[in-house]
Amino acid sequence: MRNFHQHIKGVGLILLSIVGVISSCKKLTETPKSFVTPETFYTTPSQVEATFAGAMNTLWDYWAGYGYGFNDFINDDQLDGGDLVIAANHGSDLWNRHYAAIGNLNSAIRAMKKGSLGAGTSQAVLDGLMAQAKFLRAYNYFMLVRMFGALPLLTEDVQDPVTAKIARSPVADVYKLIVSDFMEATQKLPAKWPAAQPGRPTSGAAKGLLAKAYLTMATAPLKDASNYQKAADLAKQVMLAGNYSLVADISKTFSIETKYGPEMMWSFNSNYADINTDPQIYKPGQLGGWGDMRVQREWEQAYPATPRKAAYLLTEINGIPYTKWPDEQNPFIKKFMYDKQDDFDNYSSIMNMPIIRYADVLLIFAEADNMAAGHPTQAAVDAINQVIDRANGYMANAAHPKLTTAMSKEAFDMAVIEERNQELCFEYDRWFDLVRKRMLREKSIPLIQKNFTDDDYLFPIPDNDIQLNPLLVQNAGY
Amino acid sequence: MKRILNSLVFLTALTWCSESYAQEKSITGTVTSSEDGQPLSGASVVVVGTSIGTSTGEDGRFTIKVPVGKSQLEVGHVDYTMNRVSIGAASSLTIRLVQDAGQLKDVVVVGYGTQKKSDITGAISSIKGADLTQLSTQRVDQALQGRAAGVMVLNTDGAPGGNTTIRVRGMNSINGGNNALIVIDGLQGGNLNSLNPNDIESIEILKDASATAIYGAQGANGVVLITTKLGKKGKPMIGYNYSYGLSVLRKKLDVMNAADFAKTINANALTRNGSGATPLPIFSDAEVKKYETNGGTDWQDVIYRTAPIQNHELSMSGGTDNLKYLVSGGYLNQQGILVNSEYQRFSLRANLKTDITKWAGFGLSWAGSKEAGNSPPFGSADVSFLGNSVNVAPRWAPTEPIYDANGNYSIHRPGYGAPDTWNPLASAVEPNIDNNTIRNVLNAYLEFKPLAGLSLKITGGANIINTNNRIYHNLKTYEGKQSNGLGISFESTGLNYQNSNIITYDKAIQKHHFTITAVAEQQYYKSNFSSVRARDFLVDQTGVYNLGGANIVTPTSDADERVLNSYLGRINYQYADRYLFTASYRADGSSVFGTNNKWGYFPSGSVAWRASEENFVKNLDVFSNLKIRVSWGITGNQGISPYQTISRIGSGSNYPYNGGDGTDLGFFIANAPNPDLKWESTEQTDFGIDVGLFKGRLTITADYYKKITTDLLMSRTLSGYTGFTSIIDNVGSIENRGIELELAGDPWVGVFKWNTGFNISANRNKVLDLGSVDRIGYRTTKGGYSVNDPFMYLIKGESFGQIYGYHYEGTWKEADAKAAAAYGQLPGDRKFTDGNGDGVINKKDLTVIGQAFPDFIYGWTNRLSYKNVELTFLIQGTRGNDLFNMGRIRMENPGEGTSTALLNRWTTSNQNTDVPAFIDAKTREKANLTSKILIGGDQRISRWVEDGSYLRLKNINLSYNIPKPLTDRLHLNAIKAFLSATNLVTLTRYSGYDPEVSSYNGNDAQIGVDFSNYPQSKIFNIGLNVSF
Repeated sequence: MRNFHQHIKGVGLILLSIVGVISSCKKLTETPKSFVTPETFYTTPSQVEATFAGAMNTLWDYWAGYGYGFNDFINDDQLDGGDLVIAANHGSDLWNRHYAAIGNLNSAIRAMKKGSLGAGTSQAVLDGLMAQAKFLRAYNYFMLVRMFGALPLLTEDVQDPVTAKIARSPVADVYKLIVSDFMEATQKLPAKWPAAQPGRPTSGAAKGLLAKAYLTMATAPLKDASNYQKAADLAKQVMLAGNYSLVADISKTFSIETKYGPEMMWSFNSNYADINTDPQIYKPGQLGGWGDMRVQREWEQAYPATPRKAAYLLTEINGIPYTKWPDEQNPFIKKFMYDKQDDFDNYSSIMNMPIIRYADVLLIFAEADNMAAGHPTQAAVDAINQVIDRANGYMANAAHPKLTTAMSKEAFDMAVIEERNQELCFEYDRWFDLVRKRMLREKSIPLIQKNFTDDDYLFPIPDNDIQLNPLLVQNAGY
Repeated sequence: MKRILNSLVFLTALTWCSESYAQEKSITGTVTSSEDGQPLSGASVVVVGTSIGTSTGEDGRFTIKVPVGKSQLEVGHVDYTMNRVSIGAASSLTIRLVQDAGQLKDVVVVGYGTQKKSDITGAISSIKGADLTQLSTQRVDQALQGRAAGVMVLNTDGAPGGNTTIRVRGMNSINGGNNALIVIDGLQGGNLNSLNPNDIESIEILKDASATAIYGAQGANGVVLITTKLGKKGKPMIGYNYSYGLSVLRKKLDVMNAADFAKTINANALTRNGSGATPLPIFSDAEVKKYETNGGTDWQDVIYRTAPIQNHELSMSGGTDNLKYLVSGGYLNQQGILVNSEYQRFSLRANLKTDITKWAGFGLSWAGSKEAGNSPPFGSADVSFLGNSVNVAPRWAPTEPIYDANGNYSIHRPGYGAPDTWNPLASAVEPNIDNNTIRNVLNAYLEFKPLAGLSLKITGGANIINTNNRIYHNLKTYEGKQSNGLGISFESTGLNYQNSNIITYDKAIQKHHFTITAVAEQQYYKSNFSSVRARDFLVDQTGVYNLGGANIVTPTSDADERVLNSYLGRINYQYADRYLFTASYRADGSSVFGTNNKWGYFPSGSVAWRASEENFVKNLDVFSNLKIRVSWGITGNQGISPYQTISRIGSGSNYPYNGGDGTDLGFFIANAPNPDLKWESTEQTDFGIDVGLFKGRLTITADYYKKITTDLLMSRTLSGYTGFTSIIDNVGSIENRGIELELAGDPWVGVFKWNTGFNISANRNKVLDLGSVDRIGYRTTKGGYSVNDPFMYLIKGESFGQIYGYHYEGTWKEADAKAAAAYGQLPGDRKFTDGNGDGVINKKDLTVIGQAFPDFIYGWTNRLSYKNVELTFLIQGTRGNDLFNMGRIRMENPGEGTSTALLNRWTTSNQNTDVPAFIDAKTREKANLTSKILIGGDQRISRWVEDGSYLRLKNINLSYNIPKPLTDRLHLNAIKAFLSATNLVTLTRYSGYDPEVSSYNGNDAQIGVDFSNYPQSKIFNIGLNVSF
């Protein structure tokens, strides 16, 4: 029996040893080592700025976002291949990207409001960061509201967007946030950043974009004409401040040297460390490209022959016009093909895509001032003529004459819109002009005109969002 | 540490208590075989009701002290039936043991223990190590192919050291992974590639829930248990195996010769006569003539070669009464058929098992391996397909030379074939790929048997994996040219610790027999990696070996930890050897589950009836074995990466925000948190029957199973306005049903022996639920193939692997000109099925055009022997699966294609073809038709879908054992010489390199696409096995 007891004792020890082993068990709570969570981030100015870089990166992505975004605007009159039969989910990628950027910006704004930066950060630094965050958020909403209309309006006050079920806010409410965010940016952003930081948003860029927002509010769909004066005033402020000017030589408007000024006010940026989508997308096969973006022939034919046309459009190779090319009989976009041949061969594009530039500000002023005053003022004429004069190489050009105060308000307005069409081509701008001036049908080529309906002025809300949130109502016609 | 301390205390206690016996009687005896009367060494002799035991010596003799009051001895031996004898008054005994009748008495390894095969209540397939060593590739995963019902092995590529997909009873999961759990000598999470097949004693594949539920959250995909060898008692056995082989490309793609190619290119060029243009031919008549006489370049010959394989294995094993050991080493060097590809494996193993006392044993094993593999990029590798040699070789113009006049790699002339593609030889030879994996697997245990039938095993194991990869694409490669040199340096360390504490209590009371197993276990996994991607090198020669010389460097690193704490128990109960019950239960606490679901619970139960033990069946005298089994259980899949339940601020979204020359750090919220995330759970029911006929010469095992997996880990779509497009969540459900049949037998016994086994299994899979969507498409393409929309689909109500697209009927015949015109087509143009009959071919006509998973798979093993000659062969195959042969899209593309299919294009005299005609633009203008085929260039068409069924002589091996007198004279134990071949014969209608292929393996929904993967080879081997 004693043996048995000894054995029992042994068994007891075994069990004890197991208990000992198990009690030293690793805990099941996860504590990641290689990343932090939104609750513990945004504690230094640099961390907040990393959010800005991340937010811009999602919009200007390699082969995605605006880095390869022309297909979402292919239904304008500049690009070839549109059909005005806008399918479900058209623009959904941009919708997702803008909202992803907004989600990150809201997270940063929320954290900063809660004091994540701590007492060591000066009010000036905090203001600067807050202003950049608001500027970026306003830009994202400005793009979204023009594509999709009324929007789910997420701000820093929405704690958890995943569980929150929210409906679309009216367009006017979205603009309220855009105006207030841009306004804060115009007041708190510096007019100039240090030389090493030319890519950051300035108060001038904020004023330019706010002017553009007001101009859009003055036209469809809100059509609140009182905004013309506000747009003109802001554009005027930019013009008077003298921080920006036109690049004198039209062929240098888009070039390595002018990527950050004097004309460029704010852009999507690329460099060798962070290249844009392969330059091959712009060039035709004959030049070793892939010809992804083709220019609509009818549009090119209406474009008056000017030095600007030669600078912005590729219509011939070695004197052979595109109509005689063996295939791909289309003009191509030239303004973004300013990479060196070596860079082209290495598939490295370092071009910047303008978001707001001085020529745009001049044209915003011309349009807004004319509409506010009821006739073209001398200031409006002077503003647009700067752009026209440069396009013509500072020579008289009957095909593309300067404007005068003698024109009617309507004729001047149409001329400004046409000038925008020519100057700002392929810069993700034309579509919005067609929309706000309600001239999509009129400007479309006959082949696709027949497919036009008023519903085409808005993209559809992505199917996912509609299906998952019953509070969202789809735009008409989808 | 605490564990070891406790064990020592316990050990001391045992030693101490062993001195306290008194009042005993000494018995001596001999154990012999009942057949020949020869003494049996190594037989165990135990006093029933105590833990007192000994084993017999070389002469079969033993001495044992029996305490007063004990009257029985239990005598056992591995190859013989256990025998219980009464001692009576005798002090000397002779005990005869009867040899085991057959495999029914075999011991089968099950989770956390072993069982007699006859006692098994679950569905388990067993493979003996001896059957494995036949494949010349020396890969365990590949060797499993065709050997067990319900086990599908797919060699997704043919690279040396290439990848396999092993599926046990279908696919349960979409994103959680479907790989079976590999358990090597009890250590979970093992790796099959690094194992030397020669070290394997046996493999068990656990298939039904009663067998796998004991592995809980890791058991859902089946479990492969591997037991490695140990020496046997006796003098050391030394074995040496050598083999040498040659591998060749199994099949070449049919491409045109240079002259045919030039003519075809010209014919196509001449069709561009629209708008009054007069096109010129690309190749002049003189050039064509030159190609006719001189030929051109056969690019497949340029990049594929006959490649040698050699394999050496040396092992030493043996043992004494209380020590068994095995030490083995192997070296495999397999050159690949694609130039610049190779796989090398060094492996070493030391297994040791010793009895410290009669109640305590100790085991230790170490397995180390170093694998080095390299291959130029292929398939869906993370480089452009334009520089993928497997892709570009068959479609580079045969008119182009390898080198230009200056001796540099030639560059494709624009217009003379596939545009943009890089020189195939440069693409194969120039990338410097140097991948190395070093593994160390340590495994130790202490086992105590304090009471008869009671055992405690404490195991500790570690699996340590170090990977370091160096990749450089120099300026002569496509990738390197783009990046001005592209280098990748990657290092990772993975540590996997496991401690299992297993108590087993085995007790028989009259006709009742219980085995109770209780386990407490913890596993801890930790990994980290760092990687540097560098481009723009100043000096091309030094490349990745001088990362300081790169202008643009992007580093990444990450660290993961995962913990699994588990408690489990199992009861086996048998009544009268004929009614068998098993019940098990496991609780798994896993760190990767959400905070609200840390613990998962996995029960199982099974019953079996050995009808053959019933007298009324015995009286029939038909069945040597008849067993009916039923089992049910729930298993899990914890295939969630660590930290997926937490919101992560991820780096890597850099952007030049400041506008300088460098990029600025960008951080981004990578995912939304999900505290509810939990394991996938699979509920499985199995009905099985085991039949033995003709005294065990024919055995049949049949199983039917049904599995339903719920809570599938899937990305649940979120509204885009949340800032996230999806969140990992438990949504969706999948069903698998199937039947399995295994037949095995010995049709011929005697001098001429034939042992054969056939297995066949059919799995039917059905997606029951995908959450908020009814289909999920996968974009399985590298771009450039006009399949930019998804074509591999998961569709609710359908099985995995739906290939989706437009149904292509071939070409319009002249007789159908009118019908063709209705679709705006001319005779010779493409003809599609207008599914909805609306007169246009558009997205509404998209339909299922293929099914990537087989209706059934089968394998047939054979071993024929006559005296010293032995022939083994394995035939295996699949039936009813389709493959999307993506490569053909460009190979048969007019104007660039090289495929001979273009020679079979439609002409008025060759109308019965599915290759469209070259119709010139002028003819089209004249016909003035408006095409109603509104699918653009979309190539998701059934023209590229082919039957992937095959039947293959996977392996054949002819060996000769040198006769005994001769080996004796050489003082050797045995010599065997053999010839073997792998993939010798393949019957298939598939036109690609090989029907066994899968280029996209991100998840199982994408299996079924063939895109430029490393082709399979045919291998011939010669070898010698010597033991002394």
